[in-house]
Amino acid sequence: MLSRVADSLYWTSRYLERAEHTARLIDIGLNLMLDQSSAAVERRWGRLLDSVHAPPRLTGSSDAYHIAEAMTFDLSNETSIVACIANARENLRQVREQISSEMWEQLNTLFLRVKGTRLDDIWNVSTHEFFRSVKEGAHLFQGITDATMNHGEGWQFIQVGRHLERAGVTATLLDVYTNDLLTRDGGPETPQRTYLDWVGLLKACTAFEAYCKVYTADLRPERVVEFLLLNAECPRSVRFAAEAIQASFQSIAEATGTRKSGRVNRLAGRLRATLSFGQIDEILETGLRAYLNDVRRQCAQIHEAILQTYVAYPVESALAS
Amino acid sequence: MHLSINHVTKFRYSAPITESIMELRMQPLTEGPQRCLKFDLGLKPMARAASYRDHLGNVVHHFDIPGRHTQLVINATSHVETLPREEPPEALAPAAWDALDALVEGGDYWDMLMPSHFARPSEALLDFARESNLGRREDPLTVLRELNTAIYNAFDYVPQSTSADSPIDDALTARKGVCQDYSHILIALARHLRVPCRYVSGYLFHRVEYNDRSAQDATHAWVEALLPELGWVGFDPTNNLLAGQRHIRVAVGRDYMDVPPTRGVFKGAAESELSVAVQVKPAEEPDSEEALRLIATLNRPPDAEHTAQQQQQQQQ
Amino acid sequence: MPPDTLNATLSAEAPYDEMFGADGQCRPQYQALYKRLDEIPREELNRRQHAADLSFLHQGITFTVYGRDEGTERIFPYDLLPRIITGPEWETLERGLTQRIRALNLFLKDIYHEGRILKDGVVPAELVYTCRHFRREMRGVSVPRDIYISVVGTDLIRLRDGRFVVLEDNLRVPSGVSYMLANRQVMKRVFPRLFGNYGVRPIDHYGTALLSTMRALAPPGRPDPTIVLLTPGVYNSAYYEHAFLARQMGIELVEGRDLLVHDNVVYMRTTAGPRRVDVIYRRLDDDFLDPLAFRADSALGVAGLFNAYRAGNVALANAVGTGVADDKAVYAYVPAIIRYYMGEEPVIDNVETYLMTDGAQRRHVLDNLDKMVVKAVGESGGYGMLIGTHSTAAEREEFRRRIESEPRNYIAQPVLALSQAPCLIDGKVEARHVDLRPYILCGEQVTIVPGGLTRVALRRGSLVVNSSQGGGSKDTWVLNE
Repeated sequence: MLSRVADSLYWTSRYLERAEHTARLIDIGLNLMLDQSSAAVERRWGRLLDSVHAPPRLTGSSDAYHIAEAMTFDLSNETSIVACIANARENLRQVREQISSEMWEQLNTLFLRVKGTRLDDIWNVSTHEFFRSVKEGAHLFQGITDATMNHGEGWQFIQVGRHLERAGVTATLLDVYTNDLLTRDGGPETPQRTYLDWVGLLKACTAFEAYCKVYTADLRPERVVEFLLLNAECPRSVRFAAEAIQASFQSIAEATGTRKSGRVNRLAGRLRATLSFGQIDEILETGLRAYLNDVRRQCAQIHEAILQTYVAYPVESALAS
Repeated sequence: MHLSINHVTKFRYSAPITESIMELRMQPLTEGPQRCLKFDLGLKPMARAASYRDHLGNVVHHFDIPGRHTQLVINATSHVETLPREEPPEALAPAAWDALDALVEGGDYWDMLMPSHFARPSEALLDFARESNLGRREDPLTVLRELNTAIYNAFDYVPQSTSADSPIDDALTARKGVCQDYSHILIALARHLRVPCRYVSGYLFHRVEYNDRSAQDATHAWVEALLPELGWVGFDPTNNLLAGQRHIRVAVGRDYMDVPPTRGVFKGAAESELSVAVQVKPAEEPDSEEALRLIATLNRPPDAEHTAQQQQQQQQ
Repeated sequence: MPPDTLNATLSAEAPYDEMFGADGQCRPQYQALYKRLDEIPREELNRRQHAADLSFLHQGITFTVYGRDEGTERIFPYDLLPRIITGPEWETLERGLTQRIRALNLFLKDIYHEGRILKDGVVPAELVYTCRHFRREMRGVSVPRDIYISVVGTDLIRLRDGRFVVLEDNLRVPSGVSYMLANRQVMKRVFPRLFGNYGVRPIDHYGTALLSTMRALAPPGRPDPTIVLLTPGVYNSAYYEHAFLARQMGIELVEGRDLLVHDNVVYMRTTAGPRRVDVIYRRLDDDFLDPLAFRADSALGVAGLFNAYRAGNVALANAVGTGVADDKAVYAYVPAIIRYYMGEEPVIDNVETYLMTDGAQRRHVLDNLDKMVVKAVGESGGYGMLIGTHSTAAEREEFRRRIESEPRNYIAQPVLALSQAPCLIDGKVEARHVDLRPYILCGEQVTIVPGGLTRVALRRGSLVVNSSQGGGSKDTWVLNE
């Protein structure tokens, strides 16, 4: 497979996952805001925006309308939902010959719908419906991909993009939240508000219901962290993503027969092992922050290794090997 | 005369680049009264150079460097023997104009007669032509000798006053320029008189006693015009000379566009900065200390490069 | 995008009719079609036309006009009724086109090497040297098997007396062959029985023939060559065709950024590592092929490609510099070129052409501008063209000025009558003007799949077959007999 095609499929999937994640976060932000004081609102928006690398001009803002506008419809903001979807679509358009027409139609429809919507159209009536339709649009794309595209090398690059993005954003979100919630020294917050924050974190990962099935509605910070980080079955957990990444890399290595795929496989295996054998009490004891940073660093290394192995490899060493 | 030439070219890039690919026109010609006895190319980073002869007869070396790098140094060294050539007469017979037309009629000189990228007529050029009383007077050799001197007198020689891609109008307006501008102006004017003319890129061996105006340690350029009985005769308007034993020919073309010493393409978002050092000296003399120092400076390895923070955004 | 405009205009006298003779009788080759048309109810015809249109749309056989944000895809209108060419007619065309392509190949080899034809004064050297598409870099470069033009699309029109003549040679990157193939696919589905009984010669082997044409160019010592199709990318209007042909041949569709040159060898970047490329069917103009050798600002090409090509490490189809032979002023010399290299008379004639560099011819044209078609030599697609009979005095004045200031850039031809063929227009059968573009492949031997793209000016009276101006196409049947 052409490197450019693999790269485009990988990025399509990454950007779409990112759009879906951001849509979920903005939706939750708008929703939680209803129950909170203004100081808390600012703080919570700050967390959400930090976790998606929002542009600095939004820092400190608690103007929900302004934030929603900038993070949803502003094409010039590369972290906005519409910009992520546009990037996903642009990547997919470059490889239309390699995918099913249904995939293209779905992503194109989603793009046109988001681009054709203005915040005023939805602000007073249906923000939740709108963000839900974005999430569903992204899920539908993944479903259509699974159902209509050969599960060959290209499909595997789509899986890698999706799960690597997911592992990264979930780890980042966990980091931002726990850093804020677990290290808080007194402050004006009540246990009731903190409870809401943990619910918000789980919801931000579409994992509230799944958590309750495993641990009941008794929200304990270490359990929430364990669930989102180490649970083997929750599709939004970092561990789940790491396992999916490793499985895809094995398939890709078989398809390409490259001897140099060793590094990618080793990195993916290490990330998976880090998570599979992690114990939450040990992690909390030695420092969650450092652990999450390590996970994020490993994700970045894997990203770099994908590019170096399959896409932008130096040609002379590839020829020599 | 045995001459040795050291020509060092260095490109520094503001950010790491990859897949750079380059063509060089640096090997002196072996043709007529000149023989290139030795030519060596040193490339850093290392690369395998291949070569071919282009449609104008010039030797072109080319190579690629696929990996990341922030600088590229090209060390071209040659050893050339130039033979004395017969001095052309002071003038030709007036009938030489007709002989020239007949020569052109019977041969394939079209490219050296048509306007080319840099050597093309313009208002400013025609003004200068009127000013220097350009016309098919006396005989072609006399007219070209006068034109050579007229350009020498009319323009100040000011290094760096124009750049490699400057149109001749810049020099014509400012009345200053470098050897490339002088040559393009002479070519455009001579072609205007239907004299086939070509651009020569090369080197000039300098000595204080010659009182040359062109910069000493640099590449040089002059012009060759086709004349009946004499063939291609070299005119050096920068120094008001006819090309002789001190002129080392490297490449010929319609104008500079056909014969730049280096032409390259690379991948990466970076600015490139070019430095050049040239030394031309009698082969038996040792290298001058100053030249050696300059060459060593250019050959210094790059500073340690800073690795950019990984941004997980697609790089376009 | 469908091929260029057909440049000619209607004369007052009746044109040749493909279906009916001068006596009003249906020509023998059209009789079965005529009978069938008579039997099928109009609604049924319309239904089939609609089914055909949908089939194009669903297969994505469209040309696209789109920027980053919006996308509109249109089908190149397809006319249901086939254009029929008899076996003997085709035999002449085949012979004539083969002769022409061989001569043009020899011409290109000659002007890029010894230049005998220029020295002998058969073609003026000035004409070649002033051609924008003449590539000095190709002088002295050998190309595999001395084949410069591997893929040609030649535009033919049929004159009043029934003779085909060449209107234009397309020797650079001719397009439209995908429509020829798609039209046939749809035809078989819409008129299966009629088609089955007609004795139509097949064209489906075009993809295979194209592939072996490319294979024939592979450098020696590469028994299992890697062949790729180089496209300018998804924004190119002919991208559909590029993808279609790559699929037909089973080869990789690449963009310039997929290729790289290392030590004078071309590679494509794959996830399994760099893979050497031996032959490139390029659908990219010379100018953009290699930023090192040609336009430095080209982001579509491959740096170093030309040096690898010169060294014989990769083959390009078509070769670099073929545009000099389809320059409209050089076109006027093609009959002379055929006589010079082949020692034969041309089987297919040219359209009479006036060179504006010739004083007498120029005066004649300027005196009769209202009866002439004037074309810019380096352009295609109907740009820079004056159709005298349909022009205003101001337009003629403008062209007079242009011709006088740049005579080398223009040629003129008399206004010609294109033949007409029956078409289904709003449920009725009506005559419309047509041309014919057969596709010629030149590899180990010359292969012309029997057929071509028949383009139709769907607007009544119009002679413009360009897709953006109401042009369409129809299936072209070449009969066994």
